[in-house]
Amino acid sequence: MPLTQGSDPGRYGCTNPLWPCSMTGAVACLAGLEGVAVIVHGSSGCYFYPATLINAPILGTFLIESDIIFGAEERLREVIGGISDADRIAVVNTCVPAVMGEDIRSMIEEYDVLLIDSPGFLGDFEAGYRTAIRGIAPAIDPDAPGVNIDGISLADPFYRGSLMEGRRLLIGAGAGVAATFCADRYAALNRAGGLTVGVNPDLASGIGEWCGSLLGLDGVRAAFERLEAACGEVDAEPVYRECARAEKQIAKACDKYLRRFDPPRAAVFSGFSYAVHAAETLERYLDADIVAVASRSTVQPSRYRAEQVTDLSRVREVLREHAPDLIIGSSYEQTLAPDAAFVGLTPPLRGRILLHAHPLAGIEGTLYLMEEVLNACMDRERSCR
Amino acid sequence: MSSNPSHSNSSRFEGCTLTGALAVTTQIQDAISIIHGPAGCAHHNFSLLHATLLGSDAAEIPHLLSTHLTENDIIFGGEEALEQTLAGVLEMRPIPASVFVISTCIVDTIGDDVGAVCAREWGVPLAAVPTSGFLGGVFENGVVNALIAAGSLADPPSGDCGGVNLIGEKNLEFDVEENYAEVRRLLSLLGLPVNLRFVRGIRTADLRRVGGGAVNVLREPSLRPVGEDFRRRFGTPWIDSFPVGLAGTLRFLKDAAALCGVESEAAVQAEAAHQEEMLSRFADLAGTAVRFDRLHPLLREDATAARVIEEITEALDLRITEAGTWLPAPYPAPVGTAGIRRMLYRWRKAIRTGR
Repeated sequence: MPLTQGSDPGRYGCTNPLWPCSMTGAVACLAGLEGVAVIVHGSSGCYFYPATLINAPILGTFLIESDIIFGAEERLREVIGGISDADRIAVVNTCVPAVMGEDIRSMIEEYDVLLIDSPGFLGDFEAGYRTAIRGIAPAIDPDAPGVNIDGISLADPFYRGSLMEGRRLLIGAGAGVAATFCADRYAALNRAGGLTVGVNPDLASGIGEWCGSLLGLDGVRAAFERLEAACGEVDAEPVYRECARAEKQIAKACDKYLRRFDPPRAAVFSGFSYAVHAAETLERYLDADIVAVASRSTVQPSRYRAEQVTDLSRVREVLREHAPDLIIGSSYEQTLAPDAAFVGLTPPLRGRILLHAHPLAGIEGTLYLMEEVLNACMDRERSCR
Repeated sequence: MSSNPSHSNSSRFEGCTLTGALAVTTQIQDAISIIHGPAGCAHHNFSLLHATLLGSDAAEIPHLLSTHLTENDIIFGGEEALEQTLAGVLEMRPIPASVFVISTCIVDTIGDDVGAVCAREWGVPLAAVPTSGFLGGVFENGVVNALIAAGSLADPPSGDCGGVNLIGEKNLEFDVEENYAEVRRLLSLLGLPVNLRFVRGIRTADLRRVGGGAVNVLREPSLRPVGEDFRRRFGTPWIDSFPVGLAGTLRFLKDAAALCGVESEAAVQAEAAHQEEMLSRFADLAGTAVRFDRLHPLLREDATAARVIEEITEALDLRITEAGTWLPAPYPAPVGTAGIRRMLYRWRKAIRTGR
């Protein structure tokens, strides 16, 4: 029963919020750093969600009522004191301790602890991720070789694949990799390079000179052109050649598809950068009709009339309004429109096993996206016959 | 990295009341659950419930509504947000058949009077579930309070329908449907139908039928406060757990029969024979050296599961030694004879593969 059909539950009401909070964003950022012990300073409920989402070891203070009544200092010190082999300890604050008025910083000043004040009510995932990056305050070493990769989040189902692809391309162009934000040794962040490329601009670190995103083949080419211009040691010819080959492969496969079928009417639901990347790629290679670009994160200027959608009732309305035959999004959208072709791009991607490292960024990322789209659309066409 | 998670207080690790309450209220299909707090709290639980539903092949979306508190509301109070959200619910079409309001830890901390807002006349059946996130207890408390809140929407009993109510099925467990099937099978040996699954996959109107059961079978002993509340309100006797273990399953048949006033001897004999036959399929395990692994260091020891392990190792003549093959300790304890059978298949697989 679509309870929210045709209704607006008011300024405050938000049906089935679709995106994680800032605490989760901060944890996803910090937990990617090897050697950093991340402590969620809050209850077990606040701990379990990021712990399951990012699938990495994190710690918690697991606060209970008595900690709130008598003060959480002893408990926090107990957990910090029990950590024996971390390069750095990071404490991520949650809603209740954030309003208790305890001076957490002074409580734990004897420890070298990074305190990230990112309670869930302060904003969304991206806001928390950026707060954590600012807290880490990576330092650029002018002598550090290589190029930084940023935009990595452990909550992203594509992070491992995109990271591997980013490294492959940089090494192939003779650039090498400096620091990775945030999937690296903690110590490496103090030797960041002066140039940065990203696999997800929504999570841009702001560290180093931005040379561009690796989303899409045009993005890859543009980023490597900037890298070449900024650094004489970079030779991007192998990357350009591979881009050209990939473009031919995609064009051929799409042309074959279009000989039999009409282009899909596609609705894209994802973080802003991923959503625009998917929309541009589909439009360019498959002449897809992009009927909706619904962004989970803050909308930036683009050629699409993108809308920020973080509420399931609005997703339902978009799907009803446009009736897309291809949905690029999360398992929420897949559940709401089971008859459409579906490509998973956005967490959560439930009800399926994901073991392999799929890239979204880079050349392999674009090939992967188009492969998934063409297969999903063909499967749907066959099932409709 | 290593740390001392401090087991001095196991309630630290037992999850949020919010999740427990939502595991119940979202199973009332025409109801809406309002989570009074930041959107993140609702998202965390939505994501979990969605994953669980897909895991049990149910392509459903739970109906959650967040009051979406932001920093300003935390500073100035969130009651207005709750009022506006409730007013918004009344504008929905169709109007939800019932509304459950579930509070988070942050609104308890800032002192919102959720009870007072919910006590007003809203023109729709509404129940405030005492939760307050972790400040109201743990997951289990959320389940208990939500079941009692759902029961508050029930009518006074209009006579015993002769069936059995199942109270507080674990809606987040992977084998919830298989456990239901086993209890239904056992009850059918006594000629007893299931009157109501309270609360799983039902509608608001069904809640009214909870007072009409001949006996309430609680999913586990932690739900005794629910059994006692319903006994006081509806006069229904209760059994404190689904059947667990070989002897426990036979005892369950006897208890249910006694409370419903039916004969149990033939059913008990048939089930005992069924158990013998089931165990004979695993006779090849006799003499195997085994040891048992805890599911997770943060989880409490389950005394019932420990008794099942003891019973089954004796029945199959397994030897528990420090050099034995690691076997997964059941968590929670398997339900009925079928639950033991599925557990034994997993044990045999582990023994055959050395893990």
